[in-house]
Amino acid sequence: MKRSKSINLDRMRKTKHTPFKPLAVVVAASAMVACDEPRQAQIYSDIDHCVRDNPSLIEACELAYEEAMVKAAESGPKYQTKDSCVAEFGVNNCVPYQASESQNWFMPAMAGFMFARAIDRNGYHSAPLFTSFSRYSPVYNKWTTVDGNLYGRRRYGPVSVGSDVFKPKPVVTRTISRGGFGSTVSAKSRWSGSSSRSGWGG
Amino acid sequence: MLRLTTKERNNWRARAEEFGFKFHTMYGEPYWDETVYYQFTLQQIEQHIEDPTWEIHQMCLEVVAKVVSDERLMTQFRIPESHWDLIRNSWLAGDKSLYSRLDLAYDGVGPAKLFENNADTPTSLYETGFWQWLWLEDKVNAGELMRQSDQFNSLQEKLVNRFIELQQQHVGEVLHFACCKDSEEDRGTVQYLEDCAIEAGIETKFLYIEDIGHGEGDVYTDRDNQILTWIFKLYPWEFMLREEYAAFLPKAGVAWVEPVWKSLLSNKALLPLLWQLYPEHPNLLPAYFEEDLASSNLSRYVKKPIFAREGSNVSIYVDGKERDATSGPYGGEGFIYQAYCPLPAFGDNFTLIGSWLVDDKPAGISVREDKNRITQDLSRFVPHIILG
Repeated sequence: MKRSKSINLDRMRKTKHTPFKPLAVVVAASAMVACDEPRQAQIYSDIDHCVRDNPSLIEACELAYEEAMVKAAESGPKYQTKDSCVAEFGVNNCVPYQASESQNWFMPAMAGFMFARAIDRNGYHSAPLFTSFSRYSPVYNKWTTVDGNLYGRRRYGPVSVGSDVFKPKPVVTRTISRGGFGSTVSAKSRWSGSSSRSGWGG
Repeated sequence: MLRLTTKERNNWRARAEEFGFKFHTMYGEPYWDETVYYQFTLQQIEQHIEDPTWEIHQMCLEVVAKVVSDERLMTQFRIPESHWDLIRNSWLAGDKSLYSRLDLAYDGVGPAKLFENNADTPTSLYETGFWQWLWLEDKVNAGELMRQSDQFNSLQEKLVNRFIELQQQHVGEVLHFACCKDSEEDRGTVQYLEDCAIEAGIETKFLYIEDIGHGEGDVYTDRDNQILTWIFKLYPWEFMLREEYAAFLPKAGVAWVEPVWKSLLSNKALLPLLWQLYPEHPNLLPAYFEEDLASSNLSRYVKKPIFAREGSNVSIYVDGKERDATSGPYGGEGFIYQAYCPLPAFGDNFTLIGSWLVDDKPAGISVREDKNRITQDLSRFVPHIILG
């Protein structure tokens, strides 16, 4: 056979004709929950805290802590001024973050990290946690992850989490400008009003 | 190779709606035409199209290997000097490509001749990989075509498998997909590739080329300020390399699909280079740079811009006289000259074969028909089968 043996037509379909649409949504939703079974993690404040609890895992604790610090810097919330960071996370809770040589920003200090045995490989997972000291913040005295999910009151010890919490998070930065790609296309389009403009592929 | 007429599926417009095929009619003219189809023998497909496609592609890669390490050739390919290293490094690092389309003139008998290589931003992918596949399924199920009818079209299967492979170097990463605003056809092509990537288990996100941002630390960002690390762009490298944000390409750490070395493969300067390296190859047409035209003794030739899309700014010359020409905004970077090889005519249609490659392997064909000798973006797409 010289053609594709099969194609998943459901994936290709753009309008769904099924009269059972709501049911389909429910099915999909419960399937998703099933994929992401809750599991146990521990919340520690720092390496020492982790080692006290796991004397045989010194190296794993160090690694998990450092990994969490990196994730916090990469994906944590960033602010252009210290004031705007303090407004969200409270006094004595914001640290400088150097985005580039000329740019100094602020971000909340990592207040703790989640630690859990990996299920898909040997070793341990970790994820950074922030909290806010500001009474006006929705995160006040609670744990929050880099993507803004809340994990209950700020206390150390066991917590139940979805495995999503340890997945890599998109790295974000501040955008200086937009529109530096795509200028040729508008120049070529202006060339003729009568010409068809169907695309820039070939 | 036969051109046969057949009945349209009664419900095909509803099918198109169901599967989101929105550009089957363009500018009031049919683009998708299923009142006809072409029938090939398996031998024609395998010996005259599939094998030469593989061989031509390998020869093209040889040309790329030669050009990246030769500054004179880089100049002839009109690559801005500031990007020579970028392209050379991308090639030497073996940056993985996804797909290409070779345009071939083939009449069912003689050797297929390479017209050009669309290696960077080929379109008509959805129509080929999915829509004509579905047409054959429907026609066979309706009993209007014989059950043993086949099609040279493993495009979708190969795309999904290629995405699975590419993902191994990008575990957990989001693959962004981008095209320009205001083109339903491009948007459809990108949506199709996104569907294939999702089928491969990849997390995807769409943005327009014009919305790409320059982020702190000389990275590229999407509209959520997320840093781009892996992106498919349906936008020609020859444009990108001359635009403002090209300055950040070396530092931004993005894995581009297609990789930047493909700017050499999709470049029309490839054609004279191929002829220099493989003179008299049965699947190649003689082709020359401007400076070699006089000594080439070509009397019937086609003048093509080094950078061009959709058959724009192409002119056919016979004995020094321009016979057919298309207009367009291209040609600023110079032209190449290729021996004139008329497209085979079936009735009063000129027929062009698009031969696809995924992961360097032949993956299927598309058939385009035009009333004009120069196939442009208004030509009709017609399906094909293999029988016998």
